[in-house]
Amino acid sequence: MISRSALGRNAQRALRRQCCVQPANRRGLAAPASGSFQYETGDASGVKYASRDMSGPTTTLALVAKGGTRYQTLPGLTEGLEKYAFRATEKRSALRIIREAELLGADLASYHSRENLIVGAKFLRDDLPYFVELLAEVATQTKYLPHVYHEEIIPLIQMAQKKLLASTKQMALNSVHGVAFHRGLGTPLHPSSSTPYTKYLDADVIEDFAASVYSKPNFTIVSNGAEHAELTKWVNEFFTDVPSQPRSSLESHHSKYYGGEERIAHGAGNTMVIAFPGSTSATGGDYKPEFAVLAALLGGQTTIKWSPGFPLLAKAGSKYPGVDIDTKSLIYSDAGLLTVMLHGSAKAISGAASDVVKAIQGVASQIGKEDFQKAKALAKFKELEHGQDVAAGLELTGAGLVHSNKAYQLDETAKSIDKVTEEQVKKAAAEMLKSRASVSSVGDLFVLPYAEDLGLKV
Amino acid sequence: MSQPSLANAIIKRPWLKRWLMPMANWYADAAGYRKLGLKADDLIPEESETVLLALKRLPPKEAYDRVFRMRRAFQCSIAHQLLPKSEQTKPEEDVPYLTPLIREIEAETKEREDLEAMVVARRK
Repeated sequence: MISRSALGRNAQRALRRQCCVQPANRRGLAAPASGSFQYETGDASGVKYASRDMSGPTTTLALVAKGGTRYQTLPGLTEGLEKYAFRATEKRSALRIIREAELLGADLASYHSRENLIVGAKFLRDDLPYFVELLAEVATQTKYLPHVYHEEIIPLIQMAQKKLLASTKQMALNSVHGVAFHRGLGTPLHPSSSTPYTKYLDADVIEDFAASVYSKPNFTIVSNGAEHAELTKWVNEFFTDVPSQPRSSLESHHSKYYGGEERIAHGAGNTMVIAFPGSTSATGGDYKPEFAVLAALLGGQTTIKWSPGFPLLAKAGSKYPGVDIDTKSLIYSDAGLLTVMLHGSAKAISGAASDVVKAIQGVASQIGKEDFQKAKALAKFKELEHGQDVAAGLELTGAGLVHSNKAYQLDETAKSIDKVTEEQVKKAAAEMLKSRASVSSVGDLFVLPYAEDLGLKV
Repeated sequence: MSQPSLANAIIKRPWLKRWLMPMANWYADAAGYRKLGLKADDLIPEESETVLLALKRLPPKEAYDRVFRMRRAFQCSIAHQLLPKSEQTKPEEDVPYLTPLIREIEAETKEREDLEAMVVARRK
């Protein structure tokens, strides 16, 4: 850190002001934390909402809808609907929405994951009513005009395709989901450039999908940094004309794990993803906290300076310079994937991949006691940090409310990680190896190894 | 848009409208475009950004019909002929199909200009 004496008094003051921006009307004394990690939930005549009153001058508000790629009825629908957010509504034009948001200093965003469509905003605490109204407008009064689709939505979809095509990591992740779950969760996050989405998609079809997604049982309002009473009041006021039933029900069959291998030639990079069936989310039916610990134990990315750290795959990877290994436990409402992603030069990947498999096999038989403690602590920290990260917490909470009527409670999840034993992790690893793996290789296929060669069952 | 018009001012005054409607109908018929199978909106000059954009936003069927009407009228004009009575545009078919789109685009442009010229006042 910069030593205090090295800074002039003014610089010190500026630094202090920078790092803790406070509204002018707040006392300079330590303000008591007004909320906890726990979300309060409520129900405004069918519209579910949750809020967490973290003290601070800003609020994040999001509409989390069950409209991710998993639930889309035609390819590209989720993407199309996401791009229609904050476009012209019955009351205001798109331009006015943008300008007004700019004037309030807000940040509008819409994005989607495999299960959820998130339309949200970040803004100053006082502007809550404006943005609740805006989200209600987006949900119920957006005009799905054909010319907007042709002039704005299609170019954006094409851009997303190009972005996907350029990233071997994204391609490999999409491919591994496809291999593991086929339809439903396996649907690619963005339509790839060879998906004939124009055959299926137009403004009317998107409007139809919107009428299902933005209906009472299928979305929730989640906020971070807003008073619960306040949010209750505004949600009750603005979300009145939401249809109580979806136009057509959004169904996705219960995810089933298949497994297999897919290899895609690509000139711009090399990525290999090895995945195994994992745990569902904490609000889902089959939550196994040991997978979070296992992911931390395998790891790959060091969290400390100047050392590969304790994670087993980080140690394995350090022998092969130029390869980047990352283990993640991806959780969904009714299934999960534990993925190990190797990214880097093809030669290094093919070397590291076999070591990775050996390391996983090693975990199934024996775990060092100290490594286990470290992994548990890291898993807990990561979980808490992830939940503290506003955007991630919003999505998890919203999804939990939509899918199983339970808010994602961070404290409980962290507690369940605390209870994990070494035996559980070993058993999880052994079971993982017993099931079929899902392996995707994107890049130089001449060098990248097959799953069979690595000793995996596919 | 295309031409300045008193239409709005007249429509607002029912007595004036009642008085002028027969004359307007006679004028539209006498203008002759209906005898070539065109609609009034086919006559709007295309050479402006607004109209070009509006034409792009026409639904495919409308756009096709418009081109068809124009080619037919062109053919008639070359041959120095009028269409047979049955194929001429009937007054009830002569509806504005392009004007609403042009108005919408003009409103968008105006809104943008207004927002550009806006003076922001601090919230009290």
